Formats: sequence, C-alpha cells, structure tokens
Amino acid sequence: MTTSVVKQEKTSGSTVVQFLVGLVIVVALAFLSRWLKNQVYGIKDLFGLGIPGKVLEYPLWAALLGLIANPILKALKLHSFAKPGFRTELFLKIGLVLLGAGISFKVIVTAAGGAIIQGIIMVAAVYFFSWWLGGKFGLPDTLRAVMSTAISICGVSAAIAAAGSVMAKKEEITYVTALVIITALPLMVIAPLLAGAMNMPEPVAGAWFGGNVDTTAAVVGAGTIYGETAQKIASIVKSTQNVLIGLVAFLLALYFTTVVEGKKEKPSASIIWQRFPKFVLGFIVTSLIFTFGWINKDQGSAIAGMKDWAFCLAFVCMGLELEVAGFKKMGWSPVIVYLIVTVFNTLLALGISWLIFGWLFPAAL
Amino acid sequence: MKVKINEDWLATILGFVLLILALINVVTPAWMKF
Repeated sequence: MTTSVVKQEKTSGSTVVQFLVGLVIVVALAFLSRWLKNQVYGIKDLFGLGIPGKVLEYPLWAALLGLIANPILKALKLHSFAKPGFRTELFLKIGLVLLGAGISFKVIVTAAGGAIIQGIIMVAAVYFFSWWLGGKFGLPDTLRAVMSTAISICGVSAAIAAAGSVMAKKEEITYVTALVIITALPLMVIAPLLAGAMNMPEPVAGAWFGGNVDTTAAVVGAGTIYGETAQKIASIVKSTQNVLIGLVAFLLALYFTTVVEGKKEKPSASIIWQRFPKFVLGFIVTSLIFTFGWINKDQGSAIAGMKDWAFCLAFVCMGLELEVAGFKKMGWSPVIVYLIVTVFNTLLALGISWLIFGWLFPAAL
Repeated sequence: MKVKINEDWLATILGFVLLILALINVVTPAWMKF
C-alpha cells in the first residue's frame, strides 16, 4: 500500500469520526429543543407579556440552541472538527421528502400553478433589482451574481450554484452565505408574527414565507411556526423556486462566458439537470404514495414525526453553520445592498402572494 | 472505483428509506413523537 493511499484512508476515516461527533452534537441539541418546546408549549401567558407558549415552536428553539452552541464549540476548538456533521441541507431535504407523504398531489398541483407564476415574477424582479442596485454600489460582478441568485431563489444552495457558474471567489460565497443566514433567522420568527398581526390566511402566509424568506430551512421554519397548512404551502412554493436554480445557473454561465469573459464557446445545457434539486422528485413521489392511499394513519403519524425530527436537526445546523468572520474583509456596502433588496423582496412577495394565493389560486386545503 | 453521491440524491434515498421503515411498521408513531 502506498503512502498516499494510507493517508487517504486515514483522512476518510477521520472524516467519518468527525461526521459522527458532529451528528451527536446536533442530535443532542435537537432533543434539548424538543424538551424546551414541550416545557413552554402549554403555558398560556409567558412572563406576563401575553405571549402564549405555543408560538415558541421548535424551529425557534433549535436555531437558538445552534447559535448558542456555535461560539461555545469554537471556543473549545471543536467546531471545525465536528463541522462535517452539521448538514443543514441534507436534513432539510430528508424532511421535505417526508413532508410530501402528508400532502395530496392535488394540493401540490393547485399550489404549484400559483407557485410557478409567483416564482417567475419574484425571481426575475428581485434578481434584476439586486443586480442593478449592486452595480450602483460598485460591487464586483461575481459578488452581484452570487448575491442576486441567493436573494431571489433560495439562499445558500442557490449561492453555491451561482458561484460555480460565474467562478466566484470562495470568500464571496462564505460572505453571502453568512448574510443569508443572518437575515433569514430573524425573518423566520418575524414573518409569522407579522402574518398573524395581518390575520393572513395560512395559504397566503405560506406563499409569502416561500417568496420572501431567503433560505429553504428558514421558510419551512416560518411555516411551521405559523401552522400546518402554511408549512405545506411554504414548502411547495420554495421547492418550485428551487427548481429554477438550474436555469439561472445556466443563464449566468452563458452570460459570464460570452459577455463578461468574451469567449466563443457556450456552456452545456446539461447544467440545468445537474443543478436540478432532485429531492423535489422525491417530494412528488411520496405525495403520490400518500394520494394513492398507501399510507395509513399510524404510518402517517410516524412519518410526520420523522419529518419534524429531520427539520429540527436542520434548524440546529443552521445556527451551528453561521460564520461571520468574512464580514470585515468585504466591508458594509454588500450588507446595505442585501438589506435593501430583502425589504424589496418582502414587500413584493407580500403583494404577489395575496394576489395569487388569496385571489387567483386560493389553495383548497 | 470511487462513487460520489450527490447530497440531493442522498437526502432523497434516506427519505425513502425512512418512509419504507414506517410503511413496514418498523418505525412506530410512539418512537417518533415530537
């Protein structure tokens, strides 16, 4: 056996250990989140402020515990070791596949019609507004592309897809990822509160969260806090928007190679399939299994429980994965651009979701 | 041969494994109560 093979085996072995250590931390924090949620759930008036305990749903506790554990693990020099186990996207997508097993396919078709129209309007309007504003603030094209894709489509995974298409720098991805999580976490809590204050019907609120909150995990979190129907519609709307990643990645690659770099060769359209979020196919198939009546009540309860656990693990990881170290290097201009675009995104999504899900396609759930 | 599984596919496969475990009653609601 050569030295390099031995080294490779040691590396993959240590990665497995690192993943398992990270997973144990995430699972322990998820159990703690569930315990905290159960402690306050029945309380009718928290701290005499008129806040019922049931509004403090598990996404809030999970993200909060992740955020608290994050600096503690860094201080103990354990964070980077355990990082392979912090897998927000993996747990989230498992939860979304399981969520499909509780949604009738008819609802997906009804909601997806509205979601496609909403997605196209939102993605196009927010992307070009962000691109234009970034230009006014003098941001580099690569950062503008990554940021605009993250805000208009689905946060972290869209940022990574766009970065691959435009050859963005690693620090630009880290920076945008931190911005996405920093704005999405408060929005996950504030958006359901605002929706409640506006007496928003759950399908409209779900569509608003899906169009407005940047990262899929926080969209599901906001929906979960607001109600079961809101969670379903928010997930369908966001998943529909996720599907557009491939197309945007292809168009960006085309623009950057031909216009920015002035090359003659064009990128392959196969990128559309490469970037297609495959979990959406799983979501559709599990929904069909549910629609055919192959899942009984007990099995449905077990699946719903596993879905909640998977989402809870994702929310813990979201808090654990926050990195703010890159902020100082980039300056404040991108932060200002990001915040202005987020306000624009929130207001536009509010109007569009009322119009589509409150009037044009009121999803019958 | 090195097989690299995309995280999207991995999540989909794991989601189905969990679904099948529930369908064959290996995982019960009591275990998973959140």
